[in-house]
Amino acid sequence: MTSTDTGQRRRGSDARPVITELIDEMTILAIAEEAWVSLVGEDEVLVPIPSELPGDILSSWVDVVGPWTGSVVLTTGRATAEELSRALLRESAPELLDDEDVADAFGEIANVVGGSIKAALPGPSGLSLPQVGNAPLVRNAGDLCRVDVVWRGEPLTISVQGALPPLPVPTPSRENEVPL
Amino acid sequence: MRALVIDDSRAMRRIVTGILTNLGYEVRDAGHGGEGLDVLNEGWVPDLATIDWNMPVMDGLQFVSAVRSNPAWRRMTMMMVTSESEHTQIVRALAAGAHEYMIKPFTADAFRDKLALLGLLPQEVAL
Amino acid sequence: MSLTATSFDWVRELVRKESAIVLQPGKEYLVEARLLPIARQMGLPDVGKLVETVRVRPSAEDTRRIVEALTTNETSWFRDGDPFTALTSTVLPSLLSSRGANERLQIWSAACSSGQEPYTIAMLLDDVLPNAASRVSITATDLSREMVQRTRAGKFSQLEVNRGLPAPMLVRHFQRAGNEWEVSSNLRRMVNATECNLAAPLPRMGPFDVVYLRNVLIYFDLPTKQSILRRVRDLMRPDGWLFLGAAETTLGVDDSWERVVIGRSSAYRPLKGK
Ligand SMILES: C[S@@+](CC[C@H](N)C(=O)[O-])C[C@H]1O[C@@H](n2cnc3c(N)ncnc32)[C@H](O)[C@@H]1O
Ligand SMILES: [Mg+2]
Repeated sequence: MTSTDTGQRRRGSDARPVITELIDEMTILAIAEEAWVSLVGEDEVLVPIPSELPGDILSSWVDVVGPWTGSVVLTTGRATAEELSRALLRESAPELLDDEDVADAFGEIANVVGGSIKAALPGPSGLSLPQVGNAPLVRNAGDLCRVDVVWRGEPLTISVQGALPPLPVPTPSRENEVPL
Repeated sequence: MRALVIDDSRAMRRIVTGILTNLGYEVRDAGHGGEGLDVLNEGWVPDLATIDWNMPVMDGLQFVSAVRSNPAWRRMTMMMVTSESEHTQIVRALAAGAHEYMIKPFTADAFRDKLALLGLLPQEVAL
Repeated sequence: MSLTATSFDWVRELVRKESAIVLQPGKEYLVEARLLPIARQMGLPDVGKLVETVRVRPSAEDTRRIVEALTTNETSWFRDGDPFTALTSTVLPSLLSSRGANERLQIWSAACSSGQEPYTIAMLLDDVLPNAASRVSITATDLSREMVQRTRAGKFSQLEVNRGLPAPMLVRHFQRAGNEWEVSSNLRRMVNATECNLAAPLPRMGPFDVVYLRNVLIYFDLPTKQSILRRVRDLMRPDGWLFLGAAETTLGVDDSWERVVIGRSSAYRPLKGK
């Protein structure tokens, strides 16, 4: 039967890895924790428990392009993104943070977390400049590794998500079916 | 002592500037490599440049190469401060002429350690 | 419930007996913070209950965990710089000229914490000595089992690698391992890590040509410092070199050492006839 061909192609050189084969939640959490203790503050903890994001959310992300291609996306409530930006800037935070300040600071956190995640993946890969706004869509639910945390009581998610749609699932029995 | 802080994130520029100012540095900053070169071309050549990698217009690696090609800027110490942390990237930056490499995220203490390595920790602070 | 004076005193006494570490009064908060995770792991609500439990039913394992949790493992690469510069500028040339070509140099990092100190030494020697792995052996010891295991594993987080490790050395001696950095197998072969309590009779080791005993004497009282310095001296070659932490000295503690200034740091050498 020809079904063996298709199976080999899936496992062969043109098969691309999905993120869950390359990194796990523990590693993502460890990376985020390192970023938080050094950038946000020594005593800042990320508690890994899922909780509902509020309605008004903001995302920041960087794209990784290489053997694995996708985005590292941080998503949290808009107010939390602002608090995070303020914590990052500490004493150098201006009295009033405008949208651009928040976009810049929240984007830089995505850059830092994304850079560390990229380095833990097979390389070499390129890293894009950070972007802020509505997160890119999850194209392939099987190419996603997501960590939900709570910071200062507020939910935040870190999602490492592939940019490419799933490879066509080989359904040899169908393909080779002879129409009756 | 003088330092030029180059990073496209102004939050990061403020953080690095804050650390260096506390150590007694006189600091100027730039949002990308091109702006950094403008400062040098004005004749303001610092003891230290801290350089982000990923920036619009001119990235950190291009900046390092441009500085290396001008003998007048030879005595300036260049430290990459970036979230790029693959082994091969660090090798590339050092080969291009960067003297040190600090991986983001970093703490103020780590920054001081690096300056001490480079002999750029102001004496009164080092004691 | 916060820690009672009796519980605090019991912990203090236990830690002093097991490790010689002196916890000053006023360190209650430290004891609370460090022991709470252990209490939680044992399903106990607070540190008071932990102390009660271990007092009633002492076990070597619980004691070890409590003592380990109260060690301070703060360290960094090339800590203070000078004691490591002195190794390659002065100590190594002098040792190489007085030792036979086939004699292995023996170095001891006597409170190695997570391994930055012994691997700093290993990198420096690997960079200047051909065949360093066969010329030098580095013994790394610590009271803490966790620290000894970490030293053996030779893996360091991004934050640890940022603390004082020159980038050219990072790329030369380390590889990426997930989100950590792993020291090369060549260096790991030079370093032998084992548990050793400096406050107890020392195992048969050495004799050492160089000893780094840094940032650990500060935790002990004067009689303990004296007896440790004496026992360390017994494990050293008569023409060996001892390096202490920046805030530590043999002066006024043990007069059987000669202080030698090397650049901006000092080393101590056993005085003859003492
Ligand atoms: C502050 S660290 C110093 C590490 C390194 N020598 C340095 O200078 O960076 C102190 C270390 O001493 C160890 N220590 C404390 N008491 C000890 C004892 N009685 N015997 C052996 N090691 C001990 C601790 O576990 C800790 O790792
Ligand atoms: Mg940048």
